[in-house]
Amino acid sequence: MEQPDPIIHQPIRLKIMAALKPLPASDPIEFVRLKAMVGTTEGNLGAHITTLEEAGYVAVQKDFVAKRPRTRVSLTKNGRRAFEDYLDYLRAIIGTNEPAA
Amino acid sequence: MSLSSKEAAASLSEAEIAGRRSAQLYGYRKASPHLVMWGIIWVLGYGGTDLLHDYTNLIWTMLVAGGLLAGTYLNWRASKCTTEAERTPRAWRMLALGLIAVFFVFATYAIMWPVHGRQLAAYPALITGSVYAAVGLWAGMRYVLAGILVVALTLFGFYYVEHILLWMAFVGGGSMILAGLWFRTV
Repeated sequence: MEQPDPIIHQPIRLKIMAALKPLPASDPIEFVRLKAMVGTTEGNLGAHITTLEEAGYVAVQKDFVAKRPRTRVSLTKNGRRAFEDYLDYLRAIIGTNEPAA
Repeated sequence: MSLSSKEAAASLSEAEIAGRRSAQLYGYRKASPHLVMWGIIWVLGYGGTDLLHDYTNLIWTMLVAGGLLAGTYLNWRASKCTTEAERTPRAWRMLALGLIAVFFVFATYAIMWPVHGRQLAAYPALITGSVYAAVGLWAGMRYVLAGILVVALTLFGFYYVEHILLWMAFVGGGSMILAGLWFRTV
């Protein structure tokens, strides 16, 4: 990768991708939990999630629980690969090939 | 667009912090039902032992076996992230860990015998609390605090409370249940 992935190379989206990476795709995280983790507003998070979803990096599931709407987000296979590539790109710049913890 | 080494290091560090935090919070949520379940087992086990002394072995054998099986099922269900081939070994490893813990407690009783009832009651709780505190050094501060709470309450009960079985049932088991519910709030 010569250039950083422009979709991931944005502070909030980087945090979203990093927060989703350790979670299993089959166990998506609720939007409200992700919001607390990333530390941003609902509108801001929503906009970045849409960008990532359009790029095919995250999957968004919407349903109702006890008549209340629930939005859940998980990393897709493509997203996981793109994030790994992005981390490799960063490591290459700083001159280390050790994977992030 | 090109990044300096300093910018790349900063981005990498931010990603690591966010990833670590996310993994920690996920771990809390997955540990929560285990804590609640073992809290209920303590309430039933210690409470049952206090009421039905003659059936102590039967009560604890059934509860611990049930707890280990239920814990294995919870782990199996929680490990959906892995492939089917990896899922079962992980669940079995957790079951083996539980069996090793049970073996350790009984082996200690055997080599230290004779021990009195209060020691029998307090020892597994001390082990449990200490393990939680130790695990917390890697998994998160809430484990450490829950472990310290269980150890402190157990020691207090051992030295100062006459009805230690009831103390362990309601205060020890209750604190495990509350800790489990606290883990869910992350």
